[in-house]
Amino acid sequence: MDSIAVGIGLAVGIAGLGVGIGQGLAANGGLNGMARQPEAGKQIANNMLLALVFLELVFLLTFVLGFLLMGKIH
Amino acid sequence: MNSVLPFLLPTLSEATDGIGWNIFYYSGLVIFLVFLFAFLARKGFTKRAFTYMPTRLAEHLLVFLDSMALSVIGPHGRKYVPFLVALWLYIFIGNVMGLVFNYTPTAEWSMNLSLAVITVIYVQYEGIRTNGLFGHLKHFSGPKLGGAMVVVSGLIFFVEIISECMKVVSLSLRLYGNIHGGHIVVSSLNSILPGVPFGGLLLPIKFFTCVIQAYVFVILTCTYLSMVTSHGHDEDEHESAPHGSHGAMPVGEAA
Repeated sequence: MDSIAVGIGLAVGIAGLGVGIGQGLAANGGLNGMARQPEAGKQIANNMLLALVFLELVFLLTFVLGFLLMGKIH
Repeated sequence: MNSVLPFLLPTLSEATDGIGWNIFYYSGLVIFLVFLFAFLARKGFTKRAFTYMPTRLAEHLLVFLDSMALSVIGPHGRKYVPFLVALWLYIFIGNVMGLVFNYTPTAEWSMNLSLAVITVIYVQYEGIRTNGLFGHLKHFSGPKLGGAMVVVSGLIFFVEIISECMKVVSLSLRLYGNIHGGHIVVSSLNSILPGVPFGGLLLPIKFFTCVIQAYVFVILTCTYLSMVTSHGHDEDEHESAPHGSHGAMPVGEAA
């Protein structure tokens, strides 16, 4: 049953890695756009936040999965 | 054991009988705080500039959510502001309560699931009320395809229905994962050295998370409302200003 614990750690770690890279790319695009065109900043910030939120959901699904699996560790 | 300051308040009653009465006590407390805030804000209401602090806070909140509804949903978004304010106040006060108390209702999946179900059902209701039942169902089947492509429209319809159901899951899991995950991190930080609340170091970022999660829940509600109600709006008002690709066409022709 220890393999479950290792699996949870791996899952959360890899998901954090991927989501971190993805959110970094999204924030990069959004901040670049806001710097180039400050008058459209509010709209870009709203849309960037939506993108970040949808990316974050991927990590949260992994987190909840890990949390559910944690009940199986004896 | 989950909170940052575990010595402030003991948990009222740990769930012993399988029901978990904490969620009732604490969501009642959240509702009481929301009504207390509203009552205090009502008391400072004057004809001139507000000087009473809760009234000014409420005004800021109202203006913020009003501008958000107007920019995301469109010109008809102002009538949804009371719903958004109620969601914001409940979620925000519940989240902030989790910073100091041992328990918060927004860290329970059942509470968030009920909030998400209310939101999605309200969005469907608004869509039906705006477009009519048939128009709302037609909205699900994507662009108009003729001939043998009706099969594709049916497929799109089923996929859209599934994605509507997934909205409930994603809305509730987002709030639950963020708040509950923060609590787990804090409690594991607290258990590094017994008696030393290292989790308190996370207070600023947890407060930031509280604000962001309330904001995100409300802006996603706005987005869903705009997706459902915008189409009927375009059809109803032909003379309206260009918003989106529908409105850009007549302007180009007029020029």
